Amino acid sequence: MSSEIEVKTPAQLLATETVIERTARFERDAMQYTNQLYAAAMRYTKNPHNAQDLVQDTYAKAFTSFHQFEPGTNLKAWLYRILTTTFINTYRKDQRRPLISDGEVEDWQLASAASHTSDQGKSAEDEVLENLPDGDVKRALHEIPEEFRLAVFYADVEGYSYKEIADILGIPTGTVMSRLHRGRKLLRVLLADYAKDRGFGGSDGM
Amino acid sequence: MQKIEGLEDQMECSDVMLALILFIDDEIHDEIQVEIFQTHFQQCPQCLSEMEHERQVLTRMKSLLADECCEQAPEDLNSRIVKQTALLASQMFSPTQIITEYRRTETTINGETHIEIETVQEIRRDFPLS
Repeated sequence: MSSEIEVKTPAQLLATETVIERTARFERDAMQYTNQLYAAAMRYTKNPHNAQDLVQDTYAKAFTSFHQFEPGTNLKAWLYRILTTTFINTYRKDQRRPLISDGEVEDWQLASAASHTSDQGKSAEDEVLENLPDGDVKRALHEIPEEFRLAVFYADVEGYSYKEIADILGIPTGTVMSRLHRGRKLLRVLLADYAKDRGFGGSDGM
Repeated sequence: MQKIEGLEDQMECSDVMLALILFIDDEIHDEIQVEIFQTHFQQCPQCLSEMEHERQVLTRMKSLLADECCEQAPEDLNSRIVKQTALLASQMFSPTQIITEYRRTETTINGETHIEIETVQEIRRDFPLS
């Protein structure tokens, strides 16, 4: 008989975990993110009813595959990944939608950024951003194509790196980069348009 | 890992502008490349001003987005998820099967018959649960 104390690795503990233990672990670890998942789901579905269904379906899938989640890795990002696949599989299945070409690092976009902006352009943009009424940013975010919106959400609201966003959305890092940059640019153009309608920031120099 | 073409020990303004967003997003992982950017900004007020403007706009956009993209999940969503989890968990318990096996051995030696009956009971349940 060995006197050594047997220390189980997380993988061993997981292999012998009972359903009751797994349920408790799921409720403790995964359920703390329902608000964040709901806010993300709103970016996918754009309406509260579908967002709730999407979150609920995501939690069902997450629970039934919770034994595949590797403890110690990023649980919230894992849930976002399931949210994405659930959205693609259920909510987008029979929806015909225009595809954004995948030669996505577009020259026009980079070229337009490859020169200095005039001081006039800069101050016009500052004026726009300082005078935005509540709701404008969300409205603009919901107007841009889904692919761009999600990249902007994960980068600029959630603060994920390009690599992390690539994992969540299941696309290459280069595609994340181009969607993010085009999404941000579109947002700024839209915000300038709204402002122009209200008589602010008259310049197109954004 | 972002690789910037044509980046050696100094950069043209146009190269800085092209990769500016990578610099602002902290997506240039090579320290030497980051230093090359910083050297350029020290020497080029126009690029520096562009970078500061872009960074400021992005910071402002991030804070506007964060303020407006933080909807709270409705109360009943949480309770629906808890119920759903309990239901799924209950389905994970696979039915327990009890299998009884009887073995009858009959041996006849010199006209004398010996009968032996053996019972093996086995409890079967799927494991691991998934």
